[in-house]
Amino acid sequence: MLLIPISSSSSSSISPPPNSYPSNHHSLFFSNLTFPIQHGSRKLKTLRLRANFWESIRSGFVKNNNSTQLVEPPSIVNDEEEETEPLLPVEFTLVERNLEDGLVEEIIFSSGGEIDVYDLQGLCDKVGWPRRPLVKLAAALKNSYMVATLHSVMKSSSDSDSSEGGNGQKQQEKKLIGMARATSDHAFNATIWDVLVDPEYQGQGLGKALVEKLVRALLQRDIGNISLFADSQVVDFYQNLGFEADPEGIKGMFWYPK
Amino acid sequence: MFLGGTISTPPASLRLRSTLNPQNAVTQSSSQATFPAAMQRKPPSYSISDEDLESRGFLLRRTSEGLNLDQLNSVFVAVGFPRRDTAKIEVALQHTDALLWVEYEKTRRPVAFARATGDGVFNAIIWDVVVDPSFQSCGLGKAVMERLIEDLQAKGICNIALYSEPRVLGFYRPLGFVSDPDGIKGMVFIRKQRNKK
Repeated sequence: MLLIPISSSSSSSISPPPNSYPSNHHSLFFSNLTFPIQHGSRKLKTLRLRANFWESIRSGFVKNNNSTQLVEPPSIVNDEEEETEPLLPVEFTLVERNLEDGLVEEIIFSSGGEIDVYDLQGLCDKVGWPRRPLVKLAAALKNSYMVATLHSVMKSSSDSDSSEGGNGQKQQEKKLIGMARATSDHAFNATIWDVLVDPEYQGQGLGKALVEKLVRALLQRDIGNISLFADSQVVDFYQNLGFEADPEGIKGMFWYPK
Repeated sequence: MFLGGTISTPPASLRLRSTLNPQNAVTQSSSQATFPAAMQRKPPSYSISDEDLESRGFLLRRTSEGLNLDQLNSVFVAVGFPRRDTAKIEVALQHTDALLWVEYEKTRRPVAFARATGDGVFNAIIWDVVVDPSFQSCGLGKAVMERLIEDLQAKGICNIALYSEPRVLGFYRPLGFVSDPDGIKGMVFIRKQRNKK
């Protein structure tokens, strides 16, 4: 369930794991990505830039005077292309923007589930969710079929090609800014829980991208039924992503909700 | 406070003793339970007791051992669900947090079934609640649901949800289920509705 934005300070950074994202951000497509091949026999298509979805959120990225480059991930499928839809890589860059003082920010999506539970708790605090025990959070993540994350990576633009340390090893600040997870029986049903985006990054289409990519990844694993429970104020948000409330009159019910 | 419980692939470090209130019973016979004996609580009261069911020839089962998936599939079809690939059903059952079925002693066939999936700590969704039409209206559905909910609660799961077809809302309400609490809506992803040309 997506939360209403509230302001708060940014969280601390952690050093990035090795090889988790391409170092050369100018050619961010399959050639530079390393990822496990998804199951299934769908063939990979050459990437093409997409229209509709990205154009619909492109306006959200033009927030400041600095240039923003959209890096389109694999195309969103048309109905007729559904048979040979390119497999989503586990990790790819959603957007890249040039900030002031030569900094470049990349927003990276990953369905690989690499998430620091302390970072997650910090993010939950930022959006105002009640605290849950860390051990339970960790267990919930571990028991989830898929955990999708958004991380922001800051680097200096003069630094674009360096991945080696040398004497001038630049610290790349990587920050968890969004997460969504899904539980599943691995065969028929998946349910999406805990969709959240850092309030500082809300309103830019990142939540939509997060859910859209998670749904895409689930569909590519042949999970036919993807469901969720939406707070009343975010029902429209999910409707715009292709979810229908009470389909055929089927109602979501909770046991003695508080 | 810490909560122990059964999780699908429990790493050793996450097995904790429960310090919850004494109402957490360890009633399930599953070998996956990790509660220490000290945490026993009074047995829950069901609408129909285990003994009552047994005297009528209905045996309660909490694992998929002995569950014939073709026969289960037939029950699904009998109540109007699509017939599904039994191999996929098997995968689904392997990744199910809790399940309960009733075996009819005379025929050794499943006559009632329900299962729940989730993350093992916070949330669970109940799926595939079925009672063979020949055995409906005698309390088996209720029996299965009451016990499944109890089993989920015993694991510390507080958020138990399901999706109900309109015609069985009246079955779930007396069990304690509320639809759309606080306006929360169950939503399902509909394929092929986007990108209409």
